[in-house]
Amino acid sequence: MTEPKDEVLIDVRGVGKTFANGVVGLKNVSLRVKRGEVVCIIGPSGSGKSTLLRTLNALETITTGEIEVLGHSVHASRADLNRLRTHLGMVFQSFNLFPHKTVLENLMLAPRVVVGIGEGEARERAEQLLAKVGLADKAEAHPAQLSGGQQQRVAIARALAMQPDIMLFDEPTSALDPEKVNEVLDVMKVLAREGMTMCVVTHEMGFARAVAHRVVFMEAGEVVYEDEPQRFFAAPANERLRAFLGQVLK
Amino acid sequence: MYVAVLLAIGYALHAAGDRIEYSWRWERIPQYLVSNEGTELKASFDGFVSVGADGKSLTLKELKGGRRETLTGFDDLLVGDGDLVFQNDPLARKRGLVPGPLTLGLWMTLRISAVALLFSMLLGLAAGLGRVSRNPAAYGLATTYVELIRGTPLLVQIFIFYFFVGTVLKLSAFTAGVAALAVFTGAYVAEIVRAGIEAIPKGQMEAARSLGMSVPQAMRHVILPQAFKKTLPPLAGQFINLIKDSSLVSVMALTDLTKAGREVVASTFSPFEVWFTVAAMYLVLTGTLSWCVRRLEKRLAHD
Repeated sequence: MTEPKDEVLIDVRGVGKTFANGVVGLKNVSLRVKRGEVVCIIGPSGSGKSTLLRTLNALETITTGEIEVLGHSVHASRADLNRLRTHLGMVFQSFNLFPHKTVLENLMLAPRVVVGIGEGEARERAEQLLAKVGLADKAEAHPAQLSGGQQQRVAIARALAMQPDIMLFDEPTSALDPEKVNEVLDVMKVLAREGMTMCVVTHEMGFARAVAHRVVFMEAGEVVYEDEPQRFFAAPANERLRAFLGQVLK
Repeated sequence: MYVAVLLAIGYALHAAGDRIEYSWRWERIPQYLVSNEGTELKASFDGFVSVGADGKSLTLKELKGGRRETLTGFDDLLVGDGDLVFQNDPLARKRGLVPGPLTLGLWMTLRISAVALLFSMLLGLAAGLGRVSRNPAAYGLATTYVELIRGTPLLVQIFIFYFFVGTVLKLSAFTAGVAALAVFTGAYVAEIVRAGIEAIPKGQMEAARSLGMSVPQAMRHVILPQAFKKTLPPLAGQFINLIKDSSLVSVMALTDLTKAGREVVASTFSPFEVWFTVAAMYLVLTGTLSWCVRRLEKRLAHD
């Protein structure tokens, strides 16, 4: 596994979020992610893991605190979000591929429209990425013709097509049939090995143990515990984490 | 069963006609669809006529000025050598088949509907985007427009456009009619567009934004192409309504299919035949449109 560098790419400082209906989503969360680091965020549902991930590229707003990504303040009113988001690839639980476009067109759209690269270059880049996720033969298929696992691999390739510095994964395997989970995790492992900076919200403890540099446990909107995976899973010095691990690893 | 009921209705109509001693004169109708009256060539200024020696050409010399005009290739001469004629007087006739008043009315209805359809799409798209916009000005304007138009009768709107807007802006009857229909239909198209956009899962916009697209880029490349497919059936219904609603512009000085029908009734005293014919002509228009839309839907379903 590659070691993270010292450069801090994501710096979350004292972030709180209260939803419009008064529900508290995040409470004083702080988190730093270095270049090349793989951070897995685990916790029970409703603990704020996905909300935290979505504040990183401003799909969710924050109430208090500050988030800096690549040295830019994400939630400042003058933030150029469109530009910043090109550096943050995101993979969703429900894939969210564009159903009216072919797989290849899904990969080519944003580089063409947002970055403005030529069609030939976009096609070449898309074909390389499809080969990388093992779907070179599906370039002309429409998303509806693919299995869930294949769709999620296309979604990863689509995010990579923007050549991001950071990849955010929001429960990427939760909507998949059990036998399709590994094909997606394998692609993610390759990315991690290549030194991609990754934030992964997941329930896959095996993946977290094998790939993560650091695992973060969240509960009720707070970061309760974080540690490197060996200590995190072996004998965590935290009562609530022990209870949670007891439940999921049973 | 279906055929039996249709036959029964047909017989009932026939019997009803007999009851009121109506004499059907279907043979009068065709001349109003295609007439063999030919076209009249008219004088373009006041002047004296001189007919050529063979009677096949005619020269008009302007009364107060030096203009001359020579007509050839006509079939019947309507004036004599040395006659004094005034502007727009018929000079000669060219024989042949020409469209009758009902056909001209159909053409006018088609033109009004087509132009109004184009503008109502643009207007409806803009207002529909306003309805889903988070910008309060855009949302407020679009909502006011939709509520105002949907809350008032089309006929009243047509009168307002003709007598008020048309007078103030010096619009022709055609422009005023097209504007009234486009503004009316646009409000309904806006609601269809809004519903279509809202039917697209939120994740689509999020995925597009997370790739760095702006809202307009996401709308154009991701949301609207999907929404268009979903809105095609209700849009088709709205455009069929537009063709039918266009009959209301006959209250303006516009000879559309309905107005032409009224004029033909006045000269034939055969209201039943004329109105059945007019209805059939509307059916041809609306039927063609819905057939085209079905073809388009099938094509889109394949992608």
